[in-house]
Amino acid sequence: MRAPRPPREEDFTSTLRGPEVAARVGMWLGICFTVAFLTGIWSHLYQDQPSWLTIPTRPVWIYRVTQGLHYVTGTAAVPLLLVKLYAVYPKLFAKIPFGQIRELVLHLLERVSIALLVAAAIFQLTTGVLNTTEWYAWSFSFRSTHYAVAWVAFGALVLHVAVKLPIIRDAFRRPIEDGEKPEPGLTRRGLVRTALGASGVAVLAVAGSTVPWLRSISIFETHDGSGPQDLPVTKSARAAKVTATAVDPSYALEVVHAGTSKRLSLDDLTAMTQHTETLPIACVEGWSASGEWTGVRMRDLLDVVGAPAGSSVVVRSLQQSGAFKASEVRGNLADDDKTLVALRLDGEALSIDHGYPARLIAPNRPGVLQTKWVTRIEVV
Amino acid sequence: MRLTRGLLGAGGIVLVLVGLYHLLGTDFSDLVNLVLWLAGGVVVHDAVIAPLVVLAAFVALPRLPSWSRAPAVAGFVVLLSVTLLAIPAITRFGARDDVPSLLNRPYGALWSVFAVLVLVVVVAASLLRRRRHPQED
Repeated sequence: MRAPRPPREEDFTSTLRGPEVAARVGMWLGICFTVAFLTGIWSHLYQDQPSWLTIPTRPVWIYRVTQGLHYVTGTAAVPLLLVKLYAVYPKLFAKIPFGQIRELVLHLLERVSIALLVAAAIFQLTTGVLNTTEWYAWSFSFRSTHYAVAWVAFGALVLHVAVKLPIIRDAFRRPIEDGEKPEPGLTRRGLVRTALGASGVAVLAVAGSTVPWLRSISIFETHDGSGPQDLPVTKSARAAKVTATAVDPSYALEVVHAGTSKRLSLDDLTAMTQHTETLPIACVEGWSASGEWTGVRMRDLLDVVGAPAGSSVVVRSLQQSGAFKASEVRGNLADDDKTLVALRLDGEALSIDHGYPARLIAPNRPGVLQTKWVTRIEVV
Repeated sequence: MRLTRGLLGAGGIVLVLVGLYHLLGTDFSDLVNLVLWLAGGVVVHDAVIAPLVVLAAFVALPRLPSWSRAPAVAGFVVLLSVTLLAIPAITRFGARDDVPSLLNRPYGALWSVFAVLVLVVVVAASLLRRRRHPQED
């Protein structure tokens, strides 16, 4: 009996493994990663808005769609990545050309770039999926790390396409099957279709929170659409430590501009002209839902302290700590008729988990920036 | 072709460097944690998932009638992908009692239903193939 030895590339005899499947599944995987990368950068721009960038306020659902696409393409990429890695797995055991220095260096460089690509790709999908269930099993910041590794993953992907371009081109020029009678079982074409089909099933079963009418068949989604006032919650009043301050009868909203400061009690706010707008909450964690919000226009509040048109403001919450205790609203959004400090949702007073007594709700804006339990608006 | 590859390659390297640049401010202990997560994903795939798939194919495929192999493999790909995606929901590690609407379904039971559904489709597709290609057995 022979002693066991590590596997070699040529030990893998399945005709399903190889560039025919890898190139085709890789193309779809590349499309998913490109869309996820671009929509991810887009989401990041909302949260760290550069001074030169004005984000449009219409259509109100832009962010809802882009963040939904981010979640859907990331989910769809999981089966594609598994099949892609299956197709190229024998390469892991390829012979290392120790003899020739030039070949050895090129070989090792390629291995490093592939290792970087595979590690970054698996990392992005894993952390993204865990984030949708709010399972933070790491010490680093999710947002900044997922953002940084996104550049590494996408860059390594572009580099990989550059290195493999001749192989990819040849794989697409040849017919996908060899022409010989295939072994019984799945054909290469069948495996590519399986990968795409599995992507479709995965999106339907997992990513339904992005599309409300998909919820009924999306069995593994993390938010089933329920919650106080039939709207999901990510940060509760308890987690934000505002359960006492939010219901304090002495609550007042303070609006500050230059030397002027105006305190408005809940009664004062209710006495102002109320407006009702239907706007979505689109959470970075993937879910989105629409609500009918009633409250005071931000612009009307800014008029109380005489802030000029186009003023940007910072909206502060009763929440004392955490990344989202305050958010900036740029002038174009603050002046928008649909930007409200909402007091009511679907005709009832806000639930405390939705930001009672008052919350920000603005068109085309990530949920984390729709500041809840608003207590201070400062013109900057 | 050479120019395209050169430009793509250079662009890719620049994007990777941008990513590494964004990591510069990270605390050392967080960086160590990040490297563990990066390497961990590769190890879980290359040393656990991929060998198990090889083993499963080696053990199961020869025992299956040829007309059921393609549906069985397709069903396996679907089930493996959806199972991996559903692990965080099934384990409910992210659940918090202050947000009852998060992770509020019996995901383990739903997974069983999903697995049975995949099995039913695989069996149905296999029987259909046997009837269509009676020469294979």
